[in-house]
Amino acid sequence: MSRVSSIPLHLRRAVLAGIALVALALAAFALSPFGGPRGDKSFGVLKLSGPVDDRNPLGVQVHKVVGSDVPADLYGSQVGESQRSGSDLTGRLVTELAPIAPEAYEAPVARYIAYAERWTARTRRHARTLHRELAAGDRRGAQAAWRATWSSYLHLGAVYGLFGDLDQAIDGMPGGLPRGAADPDFTGLHRIEKGLWTGERPQALLPTQRKLERSLAALAAELPDTEIDPLDYRTRAHEILEDAQRKLLTSTDVPWSGEGVLGTAALLAATHQVIGTLEPLLQGRNNVLIQVQSDLRALDGAVAAIRRRHHGHLPTLNGLGRAERARLNGTMTTALAALAFVPPSIETAPSPVIPRIK
Amino acid sequence: MSGIDRRTLLQRSALVLGAGGLGAAGKATAAGPRADELPPAPQLDLRVPFNGPHQAGILTPQQDHATFVALDAVVPGQGDLLQALRDLSARARSLTQGDAVGVREDDEPPPDSGILGEDNPPDGLTVTIAFGASLFDDRYGLAAKRPPGLTAMPNFPNDAIDPARSGGDVLLQVCAWHRDTVVHTIRELQRTLAGRMMIRWTLDGFRSADRGPTPRSATRNLFAFRDGTANPPVDDRALMDRLVWIPRSAGWAGGGTFLVVRTIRMHVEFWDRVGMREQQAMIGRYRVSGAPLGGTDEFEDPRFDLDPKGERIALDSHIRLANPRTPGTADQRILRRGYNFHRGVDGAGNLDQGLIFVAFNQDIERQFATIQRRLAEEPMVDYITTVGGGYFLAPAGARDDGDWIGSGLAA
Repeated sequence: MSRVSSIPLHLRRAVLAGIALVALALAAFALSPFGGPRGDKSFGVLKLSGPVDDRNPLGVQVHKVVGSDVPADLYGSQVGESQRSGSDLTGRLVTELAPIAPEAYEAPVARYIAYAERWTARTRRHARTLHRELAAGDRRGAQAAWRATWSSYLHLGAVYGLFGDLDQAIDGMPGGLPRGAADPDFTGLHRIEKGLWTGERPQALLPTQRKLERSLAALAAELPDTEIDPLDYRTRAHEILEDAQRKLLTSTDVPWSGEGVLGTAALLAATHQVIGTLEPLLQGRNNVLIQVQSDLRALDGAVAAIRRRHHGHLPTLNGLGRAERARLNGTMTTALAALAFVPPSIETAPSPVIPRIK
Repeated sequence: MSGIDRRTLLQRSALVLGAGGLGAAGKATAAGPRADELPPAPQLDLRVPFNGPHQAGILTPQQDHATFVALDAVVPGQGDLLQALRDLSARARSLTQGDAVGVREDDEPPPDSGILGEDNPPDGLTVTIAFGASLFDDRYGLAAKRPPGLTAMPNFPNDAIDPARSGGDVLLQVCAWHRDTVVHTIRELQRTLAGRMMIRWTLDGFRSADRGPTPRSATRNLFAFRDGTANPPVDDRALMDRLVWIPRSAGWAGGGTFLVVRTIRMHVEFWDRVGMREQQAMIGRYRVSGAPLGGTDEFEDPRFDLDPKGERIALDSHIRLANPRTPGTADQRILRRGYNFHRGVDGAGNLDQGLIFVAFNQDIERQFATIQRRLAEEPMVDYITTVGGGYFLAPAGARDDGDWIGSGLAA
């Protein structure tokens, strides 16, 4: 079978139609040197030779966009302006990007799961160190091991119920419990955080620590079978850092240790990982990827500058200078604004139509 | 065009014409009347009775401004406490009815801060007085008076309650049409209660303007959705007896109502980064019109019965969980009277804005708490955090000028 004949019939038809359209457009140019008459809806641009200089090395001069009354030198900016408000130049809503096949998510999710397995193993290693430090009654050693354990766990980006009850057991906050932070059911890393930073005896935290290690073991066992559906996965791309801004940079979820910067750096790494796996899907879709990469780099830069200024360590939230804090907050906000466009640009189905009440 | 619409239109035309008439001398623009040409605020003369079978500020048409003030009693005994409550009612009555600023000797501090001028115009002011469960602990010998159903507000799933912003022995809901009236009232009441009750927390609220399209249209909250569309009508007295007022047979609390206040931080920047379709799916209504999804009118019945699988309005959408509109949930409905709040910015640079959720109900467990438990798993929980508030009892109103709110405690 020859190569040409292997092209499906509908594609061949589309190619033929395209050729016909180009021919029509050329005919329109030939008939009128200044483009079609007003109301001509065929599409194209009129090319005339212009002065060759540094700004226009090819001597191309575009006067008018055929089928539009907008002067060519304004056309691009007006299209951009109106698309920001959700419509094209004729006032119609801008068409959504074509949906992506759900199968396209299989490889990114598999790569993410492999990554999560590596970080779970690392978390478990740090948890064993934490166990030893608690048993030895070394508060400072235990605090350092807690930071390493918690930061490693956050690298999983396990926000928004990815691991359900296990995540609650490992990283849950006590807010919804009947007695809050004093509740006997308050457990996991933050229960240990509370103990280590409020003067509890380190050895008294060992039962919580053992429970934590059991939860981490259960997570390691469950991970290979974890399924993440495409909607959940692409939403994760922006929600991981949303959590960092809302719960870590405000100190809501680190009330005792104040390690919001450390946690933010970990969630930033998790976001890089998710975006990295989604890169093949995001390529060429409305420049979202380029914007996201650029804004994440700015956030990386803010974190790196903080680390340099604090001699290779990330300080607590209270240890941040005013300018450091402002830059961190600012680059975070910008990154989140860009990330918000990731899920809608790689959807797997067109928007559902809402049925009428009847 | 209906007759009512015509009248409204004519009135509006008259307003514009009137301004235009002034403008002949004072340069009105085609855009509408100038601010300095408008008449003084007519609400300043509005007077809401303080005395009555029920307290004001519950069924009262909602004023534009509010402040919630929680107080802790610091008096040594029951007698001092009851005297403080008597004085509180007396001063609140006087301020709500509009009073003249008193005069003393020149060398004495004046009896009123005077920030509203020579007189204190009523300005639609209401002061609703309510008691928290802590007032009935062992300090004042009032344990036997604690109405069944009045407890400290429990932690619901996803709550992050700050003790410094929740609870309180006494809660004042101060509402008026102008901010300065509210501020003046708090200043004067604090003076009345000085050394006897100390402020535990306060929260300022503002109401969104009525922006139509009809006078009945609900105003928008800070998520931009209309809030209050499904509120039970306050002019239906039989319904209010079923949903709001505690029956007279229930002892001294009869004629009162339970007040639930929840300080709900809304993560507005996060919300603004969510697609419109998802926002609407979470609420179950269109953002612009307020109509239930699939409908065209704000007040249209969402007809959950025709959509049992949630194909039109998701089963976990806010409106579906809050009010399933089944015969079994009809007596769970609550009367909401909330306000927006804006109190600055947080450490991450995000606006600290949200909703002062205010609900009046006959039975907290049957009504508010049941609804709140249903809402535990709604998708909107990611965008809100409840950080404060409390459960309170707003007792019946004062019979006459000799009576006071809470006089049932002394009986």
